[in-house]
Amino acid sequence: MAEQALAGLRIIECGHMVAAAYATKLMADLGAEVIKIEPPRSGDRSRARGPFPAGTAHPEKSGLFLYLNTNKRSVTLDLRHPRGHELLTELVAKADLLVHNFPPPEMDTHGMDFAALSRRHPPLVMTSITPFGLTGPHRDYQMTDLTLWNAGGVGYLNGGGPGTDDLPPLKAFGQQAEFQGGLNGALATLGALFARTQSGDGQHVSVSIQESVAAILELTFEFWPYMGLVASRLGQKPIQPLDFLECRDGWIFLCCVEEHQWQTFVDLMGNPEWASMDLFSDRLTRAQNWDALKLFLQEWAQEQSVDELYHAGQARRVPLAPVSTMADLLASDHLKSRGFFAVIDHPQTGSLQYPGAPYQFSVTPWTIRRPAPLLGQHNAEVYVGELGLSTAELAALQQTGVV
Amino acid sequence: MARRLPLEGIRVADFTWVWAGPFCTLQLAHLGAEVVRIETATRPCVTRMLPPWADGQFGVNRSGYFNQYNQGKLSLALDLKHPRAVGIAKELVAKSDIVCENFAAGVMDRLGLGYSVLQRVKPDIIMIAMSGYGATGPEREFVSYGPAQVPLSGMSSLTGYEGWPPMHAGVSYGDPTGGLHGAFAVLAALLYRARTGRGQFIDLSQQETSIAVLPEGVMDYTMNGTQPPRNGNRDPHMAPHGVFRCAGEQRWVAISIRDDAEWQRFAGVIGCPELAADLRYGTLAGRKAHEDQLDTAVTEWTLARSPEEVTRILQGARIPAFTSFSSKDIAEDPHLNDAEFFVRLDHPDVGVRQHIGMPWRMTESHCAVRHPAPCLGEHTDYVMGKLLNYPAEEIRTLKEEKVLN
Repeated sequence: MAEQALAGLRIIECGHMVAAAYATKLMADLGAEVIKIEPPRSGDRSRARGPFPAGTAHPEKSGLFLYLNTNKRSVTLDLRHPRGHELLTELVAKADLLVHNFPPPEMDTHGMDFAALSRRHPPLVMTSITPFGLTGPHRDYQMTDLTLWNAGGVGYLNGGGPGTDDLPPLKAFGQQAEFQGGLNGALATLGALFARTQSGDGQHVSVSIQESVAAILELTFEFWPYMGLVASRLGQKPIQPLDFLECRDGWIFLCCVEEHQWQTFVDLMGNPEWASMDLFSDRLTRAQNWDALKLFLQEWAQEQSVDELYHAGQARRVPLAPVSTMADLLASDHLKSRGFFAVIDHPQTGSLQYPGAPYQFSVTPWTIRRPAPLLGQHNAEVYVGELGLSTAELAALQQTGVV
Repeated sequence: MARRLPLEGIRVADFTWVWAGPFCTLQLAHLGAEVVRIETATRPCVTRMLPPWADGQFGVNRSGYFNQYNQGKLSLALDLKHPRAVGIAKELVAKSDIVCENFAAGVMDRLGLGYSVLQRVKPDIIMIAMSGYGATGPEREFVSYGPAQVPLSGMSSLTGYEGWPPMHAGVSYGDPTGGLHGAFAVLAALLYRARTGRGQFIDLSQQETSIAVLPEGVMDYTMNGTQPPRNGNRDPHMAPHGVFRCAGEQRWVAISIRDDAEWQRFAGVIGCPELAADLRYGTLAGRKAHEDQLDTAVTEWTLARSPEEVTRILQGARIPAFTSFSSKDIAEDPHLNDAEFFVRLDHPDVGVRQHIGMPWRMTESHCAVRHPAPCLGEHTDYVMGKLLNYPAEEIRTLKEEKVLN
């Protein structure tokens, strides 16, 4: 088997929650060696966030942490302590890359000083994934995933559609602003590492999560500079059908982007008379008259089964999709056939299925070499085995709470 | 000294369309690659045919959707349905490092441009196929668009107001998520090629990249056999946690109270010492149990203020809060403008329009959008003449025969 795509890449991650951890997970699963530095005792904040087995909080059993930290090793280190800074500098001097997501007000106190680290180790690439970047008036704002999703403008776009003025902008499930920040962090970082193959020098990469969210506004942002219009969740969609219909046994999403897809779907419905009305003659008028069209479609759909309709539509190349539950995903023959869900054994939770490889490389494998680490599991291995501290020194650091 | 751009000298043969694929190649263009989009006037990219059109006037070069996500790329007008076009596409691949496509599985093979063919043309080529369902499995040839990935991946079953049906994400979220994973995968393959000289094929499934960002849903199911309920903007570990109505027409502010100390500060700042003193609300469990009442109290305070004022007051007390930005708010935001996030280049058909730039900065590699999105076929002469060494006369003939169209 070929070695992995990022084999030999050495990374120090100082991450809390999603953004930095996902960026380095993407790299670790392709072969990079990641040492995750966590605060002594409490660890990464995602350890306190579930889901947990039986809903019982436990720092080694958080589903979010377990997923985001596969293939990494964990050491504990108090980065606010002067000795913590020194050890960080030594760890970083042996690495190619430092990734963190401390917000700017916490960067200095946690030793995230690119100028100093780079002087000691010029090939270092350092990536800072922060709410608003490293400069500007909002730099030091306190943010969460919800406030960032709204600061980036995607929150404002989602809701119940026309007539739901009283309902607030609605977030998508999970920590999506952080995932977008993490993805941009991961790819920009590989760009900087590729630049280094030519120049030999590292650099500081800064990723703004607000900008990462604003970068995915699809066609909505440009309505303002192109037409002077502000896109809103209360307005019509530009084209239809792109909406949910309730079938007799669940929900389906009807998606007809192109005219031939709509025509085929009309045919599949048995060419009902209403479908030939001028009101529904093209995707733009179907959007303008969607309230009427949806009533017709919903009446027809309520007699259908999701699975039959999905397959009947797809057989005619109409891009229908079921509204999958988690149970549907785990039971999917298609995902099983691709081996998507990875079974990972962990000393505290036993064996569980995780979302697995999001892509398959023909030469260099995506692999799980180890489950997410226990808090500080690799302290001795890293501090004694790799940094060359004596066992007594490590014990002293543990005594004083630095490790 | 200003360095070369990270991907300077790397060429991408870009067969992608709609959003997912073009969003992948946009990242590569941002990093300095020369991205050549292969397109045709006989079946233009879906995004060229969708609004917003500059000043409301339709035109294949006037769509803000296309012009946003194809900044910095070149356009070769080449009709792949024409038998001679496939040979030209292969010549371009022979001079490229990366091939990107996001058709349904099987389409490139049927065009005669599958990986096994292109690998013979360029042995170290890196090719990524970003189909909806991936290149293998019983549903591999199913058609998929970004909006359908939100329900297909499970995100819709987890997203929605409490007690409401499954809902969408606000954008075709499967597209950018797939596109960013794709760009990351291509860069990893480039680093591997730089080390070993070997190219490879990457099979990306947009369904899988969409599931990859839902671990809290999937792991709840694999641990407990359940999935989190749809609960609007709420969060199991923070309360209050929501988007609250403010003074003005459709003005809203997002607020998160992360812990008990923050709650105490919040109650003080909004002038409700009785809330701070109320022991029922002193703990997360207590605030979660009374979240409806608390939301009402928060709304009473926000309704009298603009979201900007709420943000200023709460951020002054180090409490997470921010306006729910509309596209206009984003366009005019002083912070984003200060940060030079926006791109304002002169486009031959639509003039200077404000576009979204890249969400990262590098201290040495000065990534920047170097030119606006291409007009359809704008670079046909450059690609055919300069890159592929076709004489002008033959290019003219190929245009007449609608191969270059």
